Amino acid sequence: MKFARRHTAAAIAGAAALALMATGCSGNSEQAASADNPVELTVTTFGTFGYDDLYGEYEQANPGIKIKATNIDRGSNARTDAFTKLAAGSGLSDVVAIEEGWLGSIMEVSDQFVDLNEHGAADIKDNWVDWKFKQGTDPDGRVIGYGTDIGPQGLCYNGKLFEAAGLPKDRESVAKLFGGEDATWETYFKLGEQYKAATGKAWYDQSGFVWNSMVNQMEEGYYTKDGDLNVDGNAEMKDKFELLAAGTAAGLSANQTQWDWGNGKAFTDGSFATFVCPGWMLGTIKGQLESAGGGTDSGWDFADVFPGGASNWGGAFLSVPKTSEHPAEAAKLAAWLTAPEQQVKQSAAANNFPSTLKAQEKLVADATPNVLFNNAPTGVILANRAKGVVAQFKGPDDSVIQENVFGPALKMLDAGTADADKAWSEALTLLNDLVVKN
Amino acid sequence: MTTTLNRPAKPAAIKPKPTFRQRLNVFDVKASPYLYIAPFFILFALVGLFPLIYTFVVSLFDWHLLKGQGEFVGLQNFTEVLQDRFFWNSLFNTLSIFLLSAIPQLAVALFLAAMLDQNIRARTFWRMSVLLPYIVTPVAVAMIFTNMFGEQYGLINNVLGNFGLDPVMWKSETLPSHIAIATMVNWRWTGYNALILLAAMQAVPRDLYESAALDGAGAVRRFFSITLPSIRPTMVFVVITSTIGGLQIFTEPRLFDPATAGGSQRQFQTTVLYLWEMAFQRQNFGKASTIAWLLFLIIVLFGVINYLISRRIATADAAKPSRAARKRAERTKR
Repeated sequence: MKFARRHTAAAIAGAAALALMATGCSGNSEQAASADNPVELTVTTFGTFGYDDLYGEYEQANPGIKIKATNIDRGSNARTDAFTKLAAGSGLSDVVAIEEGWLGSIMEVSDQFVDLNEHGAADIKDNWVDWKFKQGTDPDGRVIGYGTDIGPQGLCYNGKLFEAAGLPKDRESVAKLFGGEDATWETYFKLGEQYKAATGKAWYDQSGFVWNSMVNQMEEGYYTKDGDLNVDGNAEMKDKFELLAAGTAAGLSANQTQWDWGNGKAFTDGSFATFVCPGWMLGTIKGQLESAGGGTDSGWDFADVFPGGASNWGGAFLSVPKTSEHPAEAAKLAAWLTAPEQQVKQSAAANNFPSTLKAQEKLVADATPNVLFNNAPTGVILANRAKGVVAQFKGPDDSVIQENVFGPALKMLDAGTADADKAWSEALTLLNDLVVKN
Repeated sequence: MTTTLNRPAKPAAIKPKPTFRQRLNVFDVKASPYLYIAPFFILFALVGLFPLIYTFVVSLFDWHLLKGQGEFVGLQNFTEVLQDRFFWNSLFNTLSIFLLSAIPQLAVALFLAAMLDQNIRARTFWRMSVLLPYIVTPVAVAMIFTNMFGEQYGLINNVLGNFGLDPVMWKSETLPSHIAIATMVNWRWTGYNALILLAAMQAVPRDLYESAALDGAGAVRRFFSITLPSIRPTMVFVVITSTIGGLQIFTEPRLFDPATAGGSQRQFQTTVLYLWEMAFQRQNFGKASTIAWLLFLIIVLFGVINYLISRRIATADAAKPSRAARKRAERTKR
């Protein structure tokens, strides 16, 4: 019995020590990292982020810092990863990349993220285009994310295929062909029908991305500015849906699988001739071409035009969750990664478009030709396309509506199993089942 | 010799108080077995029972994935899920994939085991070979098969196209997608089940086969009349484990179309996949827990059915003479 008691005592002591250690970790007195006080920071990004070289650079400049990076293949998987870890209350990296599409969900639990104002956000506030910085600020004025890139949209097109179909090939003529500053979706689909008649091939890869572009372009998307659902009875949105449905019914969609494209093959075999391109999509295309063995001769080019005017799709933020053991170091890293100089390097690596003004200016001044896109000065074009972009309010279920409500409805159009009315009513039913009644 | 008429004095009626050591011994004998098996039950309580109960508690609440616990809603989640068309769709898909995988799998595993039970050359090599697919992780299997079953660029449709056949819509049509997923499951589990069945077959006494052969029974007859009845308990085990596994199938349908939760129109969304969508996309943790519990109940139901079947088989196995046979024996005794 004596033994047993001693053991209990030891167990209690052990547990107490553990508890002390645990509370000790969550203390706010954080020592700056140095060679004597090594700190390991974890970073989670997704898609093509272009940070690989920057991590090494930061480690060199800041002795004692070790960066452990994870990159998740696509945004929706990164969302699941982040949500799971938020729900579990542990496991999030010190720096987490958040996509604009699911920022609305994150904003609902913004108190689980460090207010970057405590780490000097106010001093660098003016770096960013104002709407981007505002997007990362919650209703209480807490800044929970530094913007990395934005997604102004231009039009990717395949010059070779255009030429074969008797359409102009060079960027300027193509921009004019689509209507320049007054480019509309009607012209886009009309040209598509012309192309289809000449070649028998599809105009765009699948309906989903075109639809995302159309919705992101609207002043209010799936939600009103006040946060109410804005789909049922939204005549403007329905008109656009019908326009897209008519185009798809005319055979303009190649019915490709999003984010797969037959491992990139669809970009090299002439399956489709145009592609809606937010800045970061250029990096995606690059990856797809690489996996399919396509090079500079695959014919892709980037035109300074977009149907329906300025549009922004996506872009990301870097956040520091409250669970981070080194919030100050993590915030410092996030600020450094999103500073103009680094955004320029990120853009060079990932082909995306920076969200800070100075970085944008630098890209325009350099006007570096993008070899993969027939030497198009993609930075300059994207800067033009960013003009007139207004941030759209993203509600808590925005990404669910995009993927689980409209995704299936648009796939029905692509597969030819439904007409516009049926697909639209399917979307409304799904909206009701998945979002309203959820 | 003297006889003592007087009885010796009775020993003291009061038993001496057992010493501490004695009491400890008694305690040891009585309690130790429980202590020895305790680690399993403590672990089970922690990682089995507690989550089960906690899931049930969560299912009674409006529970948002990120925002946490909300209002108590009683059984409302259960009534809503039971009226949810997607829930029934997922059950149909699960059962369909289960049947498409379990039945061919068992048939082929039986055949393989019977072949491996013969006197063949390089026996160990063949036995190891059938287990190989089981060693490959399901994710790798799913990725390779997903590629093969691609609609526009997949290997299978390419081959079909070379013969001038129409491509099969492996991902957008329900039955083809179920067949494709069942193929992945079969690829992985057939060899494993074959080995278990083989082990059972090897325990069948060889002289049974010899005497049957002497009586003129052919190979087929020997298989159906001797092998099959002898391995019935193992068959039951294989059926139960593949039922539980089959009803919880997740990885294969999840990776068959990584962009959606089981197909754009939920063509191959299994129940666990629907649970996953509910929890991590729709963020309704309450309903996700409800689905988990309903699935648990369904698996228990299947388990009970299996148990009843296996009990019948067990009694058949016990070689208990039938009532008629017993009566006959009694008659001859008289």
